Amino acid sequence: MERSALGPAAVPLTLAALLVAGFLLAPLVVPVMISFSDTPFVAWPPQGFTLKWYWKILNEEEFTSSFRFSLVLGVAATIGALALGTPAAIGLTRHKFPGRGLVQGLLLSPLIFPMLVTGIALLRLATSTGAQNSLVNLVLGHVLVTVPYVVRTVSASLSLIDPAIEEAGRTLGASRIRCFWWVTRPQIMPGLVAGAIFAFVTSFDNYPVSMWLADAVNIPLPLMIFTLTSRFFDPGIAAIAALMILLSVALILVLERVTGLQRAMSM
Amino acid sequence: MRGWMLVAPAALFFAVLFVLPVGNMIRYGFFQQTATGDLDTHITLANYARLANVDLYRKVLVTTMRVSLFTTLAAMVLAYPVALVMVRGNRMLSRALSVIVIAPLLVNVVIRTYGWRIILANSDSGVLNWLLSYCGLGPVRLLYTEWAIVIGSVHVFLPLMVLPLAAALGRINPAVEEAGRTLGASAWQNFRSVTLPLSVPGLAVGSTLVFSLTASSFVAPALLGGNFAKMLGTLVEEQIMSVFDWPFGAAIATVMIVIVLAINLAYSRLIERRFPAPGRT
Repeated sequence: MERSALGPAAVPLTLAALLVAGFLLAPLVVPVMISFSDTPFVAWPPQGFTLKWYWKILNEEEFTSSFRFSLVLGVAATIGALALGTPAAIGLTRHKFPGRGLVQGLLLSPLIFPMLVTGIALLRLATSTGAQNSLVNLVLGHVLVTVPYVVRTVSASLSLIDPAIEEAGRTLGASRIRCFWWVTRPQIMPGLVAGAIFAFVTSFDNYPVSMWLADAVNIPLPLMIFTLTSRFFDPGIAAIAALMILLSVALILVLERVTGLQRAMSM
Repeated sequence: MRGWMLVAPAALFFAVLFVLPVGNMIRYGFFQQTATGDLDTHITLANYARLANVDLYRKVLVTTMRVSLFTTLAAMVLAYPVALVMVRGNRMLSRALSVIVIAPLLVNVVIRTYGWRIILANSDSGVLNWLLSYCGLGPVRLLYTEWAIVIGSVHVFLPLMVLPLAAALGRINPAVEEAGRTLGASAWQNFRSVTLPLSVPGLAVGSTLVFSLTASSFVAPALLGGNFAKMLGTLVEEQIMSVFDWPFGAAIATVMIVIVLAINLAYSRLIERRFPAPGRT
């Protein structure tokens, strides 16, 4: 091991960090192990080896239909967030106008505002205006909470590129839209991709907004899993958990490829 | 003018679907539900009085504050070694740690909480109790207590403490600590009087996030606390979805907003006073 800059406490510090890493991984590893267990209900330690729980949940209509629904919802929310967030990020980083700080604060506020409350407020709005299409309500709610991620990542990308290149494009006669598409867009691609991934994951995993806006037919996956945990006691739920964790690992690899994980998180 | 045109769609969307509905919900908290289920739109503080005076509800409020406080403190303690090793450890370890810290953020919160249910289960089939009995120690009852919520919440929100803390630690000039060592400070003295104070901005950002997110969470208290350890999140769900008492639910939600705003305000005050201008994350 190379000499680190941790000073004389290097060994205990590293040990402590590894322990915390174990704490972080434990609730992810345990369900994966149990998902292969050949026992009729969830119990530790896992026994034997079987893939039957995966087979079972992949044929569970409630699970697969919720999964498909969340995919549609996530894609719709991501498109909405990119459509609203990208121009907003350009306006905020490239232009000065009165009220700029206020707008920026407003567009980022869902990051710290309690999501549960956002959901309640939207349900109140839906109830009092009679907006009963829960798919539409969910998409609107999810766009609201995913826009900040796009604004943040795209703004970060924009601040890294030289505006002179865009000006050159304009001077050479490109329209604003052509200039955005052929000059700006390729350069902010990492920000757009990172923003889209964050938006999708945030929507796909969202519970506190969805719980108010879902109805009996349109049930996003996290809500379905929540219900299933109190109904099923076999390792099927663990298999669902394992699949979801696998999905997250795939996403992490994509993020790492596109922007570098640490950079993506700091944007 | 161009700037306004670019932000206008998003700003309008937020005004109509965020600012107005939240304002309207807050207003609802000052109405009251009559015994017949109608809405009495006379402005009253009755809902807030009920939250403060009825034992059951006051207990929920206190539990929420206590769980959020313990979660924040535990997250600080656990985040420190991780952030230090991430910033100053060798490259490989640092990379591995940052993946392990960030990874849980991308795993669904219901899934993570479910993992804790299996680990903390109160019977011998829970991982922790199995381990304990293996070591000849008595069973502990953790699931459906406040401790389970604290453990689950620390897990969910720890990355949000580690990342700003690591950023703050990364900005500390190594020469400053070097100076401390040269002047004869022990490792502990150096940590206490140099590293720790200089990392306060990171801790402040992290604590603000962890406290406000814990205080307004639903999944962890619902799955790990059950009916035995209720928090504001579970109470508001019950009031709106089962009792249909909208005004009371809106009042509870407003209390959540106040808690989150107060914490954010307090910290930005603290940071401005102690660390003027630079040093913000």
